[in-house]
Amino acid sequence: MKIARFLFRGSLFAYTALFFAFIYIPLVLIGVYSFNANPVNMMTWTGFTTQWYAQVLGFKTTISENALYIESTDQLVQAVWNSLIIAGSTTVIATVLGTAVAIALYRFAFFGKRFYRTVMFMPMLMPDIVLGIALLIFFVNSGIALGLTTIIIGQCTFLISYVFIVVSARLAGMDRTLENASADLGANEWVTFRKVVFPQLLPGIVGGALLAFIISMDDLVITYFIAGVDVTTLPMFIFAMLRRGIKPEINAIAVMMLSFSFVVASLGLYLRSRQK
Amino acid sequence: MASDMSLAGRRRVQLALLLTPVSLFFAVFFLGPLTIMIVTSFLAPGLYGGVEWVFYPHNYGRILGFADPAFEVFDPVYLSIFLRSLKIAAFTVIATLFVCYPAAFCIARLSERWKNFCLFLITLPFFTSLIVRLFIWVLILRQTGIVNEALLAGGIIDRPLELIYTDGAIVLGMVYIFIPFMFMPVYASVEKLDWTLVRASLDLGAGPIRTFVRIILPLTAPGIAGGAIIVFIPALGNFVVPAVLGGAKVMMLGNLIEQQFLSARNWPFGSALAMMVMSVMLVLLFIYVVASGRRGADVMN
Repeated sequence: MKIARFLFRGSLFAYTALFFAFIYIPLVLIGVYSFNANPVNMMTWTGFTTQWYAQVLGFKTTISENALYIESTDQLVQAVWNSLIIAGSTTVIATVLGTAVAIALYRFAFFGKRFYRTVMFMPMLMPDIVLGIALLIFFVNSGIALGLTTIIIGQCTFLISYVFIVVSARLAGMDRTLENASADLGANEWVTFRKVVFPQLLPGIVGGALLAFIISMDDLVITYFIAGVDVTTLPMFIFAMLRRGIKPEINAIAVMMLSFSFVVASLGLYLRSRQK
Repeated sequence: MASDMSLAGRRRVQLALLLTPVSLFFAVFFLGPLTIMIVTSFLAPGLYGGVEWVFYPHNYGRILGFADPAFEVFDPVYLSIFLRSLKIAAFTVIATLFVCYPAAFCIARLSERWKNFCLFLITLPFFTSLIVRLFIWVLILRQTGIVNEALLAGGIIDRPLELIYTDGAIVLGMVYIFIPFMFMPVYASVEKLDWTLVRASLDLGAGPIRTFVRIILPLTAPGIAGGAIIVFIPALGNFVVPAVLGGAKVMMLGNLIEQQFLSARNWPFGSALAMMVMSVMLVLLFIYVVASGRRGADVMN
């Protein structure tokens, strides 16, 4: 019996190790192969080089033209810019609106509260593609030209929900006695909100905003449908590259994107763990 | 002025200030578009990509078997794509569960520190670019990819295997991106599991298999059901994974919808397809809510 239990424990551990290997080995592989000098077959190692990174970042390299995708980095830089503009705007809008609903649903009892709650969860459960085409039909029918504006509006529909959920979770864990104490000590509602509620709420708001930013930077499906012909975001750029066929530069771009989101996400999760 | 207002009046103003912007936003940009999509799915496709304002149930008919007799004979190709998407999504759910379930048990019994670290490692990929994570699998699976190169070099095969552009590749890609979605709900119910019940069952002579089926599985079922739903819904309508790992050969609902909107320009038919995805989602959610409601009632009694 003891041996059986030991074997069971051991195999469970081995399984979990494989589980993490499955998640992380692909990420490690791309990191390694992004330094591979072979311009023809990306997966056959012929030597170490940092040329792909140099190429993507716009430095002069000795890579022959036919191994390249982008003659210049202009398109890529433009896509990154678009993504940043969109993520910046959506983060501000979604954070303000999402926080407002969360506070309203937390503090007030009113008719239709359950309806609001349901509607707030709907965009998250809705398959991306359904929301994407619904917005496309809507924008085209209402004569709004597809572009940055429509992307920002479209992404806000589901980012508000993410912010709402993060902020609501924070509100649910908050200490209401502090508010009462503040009121008892003679602070009016506004002062209580500013000095007592808001500081407690801030980590939730920051967390929600970070989440919104990252999800916005990464959104492909909804953006793809409502972007129109002129605007390309970073995920759309990569998607288009994948459809045309892969060249080694994309490894370097991928690794830089992964590193960026690792840093932002780790920071967010670290901040959250500190606040507890 | 504010000070003249009654408390109730002031609260009403505050509530209105907080809720009006969101209400307008959701009414115009969420509920509005959904309504228009539903209406579009019942309209006739126009000649050059527009719609004609007549009631036309044959968009659904093309999928379900009552195609417009004036236009075409019924061809079950769309139905088979629908069924195939259901099948791939179901396989994805099962595979994701098999990957996550045992790991959840292992991680739930670690010390606090290691537990948090493991949870961090599992959620981290969720925040990284989805398209990049899929692209890595292209590099691994394609003809000149890592797996084939390794097998060729090892002399195990003499011709590259066709790994990419298959149903299996799609399921693999989906499992990879949906792991956090399944793991979190499953883990939540595994962590809450009352181990004294398990020990009692073992002490009273039930074997490990019987204990698993009668005690552990029912107690973790809510987490499994929750995970299954939040994996199944995005898997069913997914179009990025089949577009990247399925190539032109494997068509899923998502690709078909994309095609109707961006190349075939038959918006009513595309809307009807999207409605099919949505109705599957609504049915699943309904079952889930009813089932968990009954469960709650059972516990109360």
